[in-house]
Amino acid sequence: MANETRTVGKTELRKDAWDKVTGAAQYVADIPQERMCYGAIVRSPHHFARINQINTKAAEDARGVLRVIIADDIPGRKIHGPLVQDQPSLAIDVVRHMGEPVALVIAETRQAARDAVTLVEVDYEPFVPIFDPITALQPDAKKLHTNGNLVAEFDVRDGDIENGFADADVILEETFNVPRISPAYMEPENSVARWNDDGSVTVWVSSQHPFTDQADVAEALNLPVEKVQVKSAVIGGAFGGKEDSTLAILAGLGAWAVKRTVQIVNTRQESFLAHPKRHPAQIQLKVGAKKDGTLLALKATAHMDTGAYASLGPAVGIILTETLAGSYRVPNVELKTLVAYTNSPLSGAMRGFGSPQSHFAVESMMDMLASALNMEPITLRRKNILRPGDQMFTKVVVNQTALSLPICLDNAEEIIKRYQKIEPAPGKKAGVGMALAAQSMGLGAKVPDDSTHRLEWLRDGSVLLHLGSPDMGQGLAMTAEQITAEALGLPYEMVKSVELDTLKSPNGNVTCASRMTYLTGNAVINASRQLIEQLLTEASKMLNVPREKLAYKDGLVITPDGEKVVAAEFISRVADDGRQFISEATFSFPYPEETTPQHLPIGMPHVMFCFGAQIARVEVDPELGTVDVTHMVAIHDVGKVISRSGVEGQIEGGIASGIGYALYESMVLKDQGQWIDSFTEYLIPTSKDMPEHYENIILEIPEASGPYGAKGIGEIPLVPTAPAIANAVYDAIGVRVNSLPITPEKLIKDMI
Amino acid sequence: MQEFNFVMPQTLNELMIALDETGGRLVAGGTDIIPRMRRGLFSAATLVDASRIDELRFIDEQEGRIRIGALVTHQEMVNSALLKSAAPSLVQAGETVGCIQTRNRGTLGGNIANASPAADTIPPLLTLNAEVRLVHRHGERLIPLAEFLVSPGRTDLAPGELIHSVIFERLLGAWGASYLKLGKRNGMAISVVNAAVVLVLDSAGSIQDARLALGSVAPTVVRSSSAEEMLIGQEPTPKILNQAAEASAEDISPISDVRSTKEYRLHSAVVLARRVLTEAVAQAEGKLA
Amino acid sequence: MKAIQIAFNLNGKLITISSAPNRTLLDVLRDDLGLTGAKDSCGGEGECGACTVLMDGQAVNSCMVFIGQVQSHTIVTIEGLSDEGQLHPLQKAFVEVGAVQCGYCTPGMIMSAKALLDRNPNPSDLEIREGLSGNLCRCTGYVKIADAVRLAAEELSHG
Repeated sequence: MANETRTVGKTELRKDAWDKVTGAAQYVADIPQERMCYGAIVRSPHHFARINQINTKAAEDARGVLRVIIADDIPGRKIHGPLVQDQPSLAIDVVRHMGEPVALVIAETRQAARDAVTLVEVDYEPFVPIFDPITALQPDAKKLHTNGNLVAEFDVRDGDIENGFADADVILEETFNVPRISPAYMEPENSVARWNDDGSVTVWVSSQHPFTDQADVAEALNLPVEKVQVKSAVIGGAFGGKEDSTLAILAGLGAWAVKRTVQIVNTRQESFLAHPKRHPAQIQLKVGAKKDGTLLALKATAHMDTGAYASLGPAVGIILTETLAGSYRVPNVELKTLVAYTNSPLSGAMRGFGSPQSHFAVESMMDMLASALNMEPITLRRKNILRPGDQMFTKVVVNQTALSLPICLDNAEEIIKRYQKIEPAPGKKAGVGMALAAQSMGLGAKVPDDSTHRLEWLRDGSVLLHLGSPDMGQGLAMTAEQITAEALGLPYEMVKSVELDTLKSPNGNVTCASRMTYLTGNAVINASRQLIEQLLTEASKMLNVPREKLAYKDGLVITPDGEKVVAAEFISRVADDGRQFISEATFSFPYPEETTPQHLPIGMPHVMFCFGAQIARVEVDPELGTVDVTHMVAIHDVGKVISRSGVEGQIEGGIASGIGYALYESMVLKDQGQWIDSFTEYLIPTSKDMPEHYENIILEIPEASGPYGAKGIGEIPLVPTAPAIANAVYDAIGVRVNSLPITPEKLIKDMI
Repeated sequence: MQEFNFVMPQTLNELMIALDETGGRLVAGGTDIIPRMRRGLFSAATLVDASRIDELRFIDEQEGRIRIGALVTHQEMVNSALLKSAAPSLVQAGETVGCIQTRNRGTLGGNIANASPAADTIPPLLTLNAEVRLVHRHGERLIPLAEFLVSPGRTDLAPGELIHSVIFERLLGAWGASYLKLGKRNGMAISVVNAAVVLVLDSAGSIQDARLALGSVAPTVVRSSSAEEMLIGQEPTPKILNQAAEASAEDISPISDVRSTKEYRLHSAVVLARRVLTEAVAQAEGKLA
Repeated sequence: MKAIQIAFNLNGKLITISSAPNRTLLDVLRDDLGLTGAKDSCGGEGECGACTVLMDGQAVNSCMVFIGQVQSHTIVTIEGLSDEGQLHPLQKAFVEVGAVQCGYCTPGMIMSAKALLDRNPNPSDLEIREGLSGNLCRCTGYVKIADAVRLAAEELSHG
């Protein structure tokens, strides 16, 4: 492979950025529509209740109201769900969480719709709610669903746990608690649906999975899939939270009911109540090690609260389980993860998908173990990190990219020494801590895990990239354009992505799981090769030169005698003939049966991992317990940088989220039985909460099967942050906090 | 949002007449009213917009008394050279209000009228022994701020009355004034606890006057008489300041809520009290020299 | 509820609109005037800055200004920032430095940055963070946003 790349590895300018900085970019709620009316959702004020009756008459009679829809009115499938179909689009007989949609009001104005919501009379009979997964799994607990409160259970073992602990010189046991947090993307959920004269419906979504939205709407409306067109608008952030149905079904129902265009936009309050969060979990962790630091045994029981409906709970449970041994070699392992229903708001996909939870436990534990063994945390980690050729407890063999781990530790060691020399501000206590991270890529074995994309070579020589998966703001389009441009030897400016439209785009499946650069990149490289092949075949015919004598480089067909003809020449002649150069390629995540262990549940194992480390320096006010993150270094191996600014942006944003997870964010139930539901009480980091000193160290240890060697980066940046901060706080004041967020209240309690 | 009529007077006189005749509620910066209205916690059939009444926009000094008009925004207070020298704790408080967008709209009058125990301007003003000038169509009155604030969210404002200005005597001699706010995050922080102090030293360096106000630790912002009584006449040693700070715990009754716990508020109020006292002493001693 | 007539300067042009008074400047910009650059993220509580516009040159949350209060004032939105199709140095800097990811916070963020540079052409890192602390971003961690403001400040001081 050529060493000098044309665009891969550089910072290019995102093509969508120009519209975003001028205010011209159109998110769902910005798109002008004709004769639009508005939907507002009647939501349950109770955590758990039977619905005895719904009376919509007063609402329907109100000024400006067009229709009020309840579950009975849904013509097709009334229940949906990404993994388990357990979630009613509108409540049926029971509401299982506060904020659950019960009815949909459609009116001429937004105000009329919201006013009419208060006129819908619902006769509820409240039950005593359950908010804790352990309580929910008691044999006498009230069943939230007919099949009981256990959604999924994972039991993974390796080696002999009893012997492992028997041989250990030191055994530590601790319980860690991580909170429910909100993805808190800046654009709350929304959708617009338009009923078309031909009986089809067009839906605009801010969603990670427009093709699933298409299928969902079709099912709900009892329409063939071809009658539903879903268009991806510009997306204002998702972070996993838009992997569930984001109002597309309800908007579609609205459009069908009034035969017009209906817009539904969640308020931030509704977003907090009714949209998926990160799973809270209680993780009981027990580790055993020899005196010299060798890890021998790791046992864990994790209880996860998936809330009222399963959402992606089982899949999150899988990754939480798989990442509980972090980046380490542990010969004896026993892991049990239970995912339970409760009456809390839904938990589903959120960036990291189980790994931030597991890593808070395991990376805190590693520092605790180091302390008990009187070892430096770095030394303990060095002793146990995975090396190429090692087996994880899932029997997955780790490849060459694990070489990033010792490099992470080498860098970390130097940085820690440097940071330890910095004097704290007067009256403050300083501490330095680190954490490693391993994040899985892909959906897991035995789960369909592929992505399809299409290239179209236009007559002027530029290329249209029909991305089959949406760019949720992270820069997927730019990355895919750079890879395409590189593969075709064209300038980056000549490759343009087209916004996703199910009518025209291939199905690239869900944007998620740190897999998009990898899958999309490989797909467009293959599609590029096909395009080149098509070009050379046409050129061969037109030039009357045997195909094998022609070469292609940088947009030029090169003849045997060295003559160069621009590709556009051939493409435009082909276009004149009414034909096109189009190629479509699907890339599937490799889970080779020969080497991928098959004995684990569906979705396990994951076979490719990203690795990284973060080092945090904090200053703690010993009287107030407030924590300031003053310095942060992120070390991440991405295999190969495709977009430099894109990779940096993912890491920087991830760290901000990690700091929020560590110090500020928690969606709790207030005294009056109300959930926190606004940015006044749910605090995400502002610009003043980011470290003053920040550094990125990006490693490139090529992943052989990756596009130009690239791997994923989307999720891992917020995985090591919280444990690094927890470890730094311990270093500063000797207080170990085992639950997030690390608040002054918790620190002072232990300090005074 | 609920429906209401909107009246737009151009002068103070028109404003007073409008309030009297419509029985409506006054809106200035809107930063408290609008969110509360959206949540159904505030309602009015008529809103009277005070935002263009320039007569209520002033910061000046008359015969040793500093006057701040009700429509002065937090950012205007922060930018004021007069206040930086005469009421630095008020400026410190202004700097911690929300963010620049909120500071550009939120007014002194609004902050006081909202009467939140977490308000930023109230503790400094209480330690400045501020008075509030209230006007209405048929007259006016002057009332100490401490008496004007009745209970959380309630003031002594009568129907048709509005806050005209806040007035306090310029501090003389060897004085120090300090404000500290403890929030849950560095940006856009709402108080977990806040504290303001004014200390005046006599020529011998003993404490002649001590005024300590603590916020977010009781239904209203409190002046800590326990701390103040302990300080008067004493030499401002760290030991005395510490004792006084600890004594302030007797005057407060914090609660646990979504933002923090009773225990933590009690603990951190004492810490903040000690810190503002220490800072004020340093300022005052600087003036003695 | 009686509608009110409001005359104000919007992006350099004097306009008059009629509106129900129980609406905010943000409502009017987005729903009546088709200027959808300013966004709602926090539900109109003034907690996110996504709706930031300039009012008489100062950064304000347009969701917290009743439309009636805009009478006679000067409003500049993100759409009014570029001059005859020429992007403002802040807009260029945001693109060049990679400070735009999902972009939802971007219009508000740029307006706050403009207000900051107007009153403080050479801000320190701390002053930049303070000036932008009323604008939430979930994608970028504010790192490249601060870089963009610094770049624009340099550009503006030379230009």
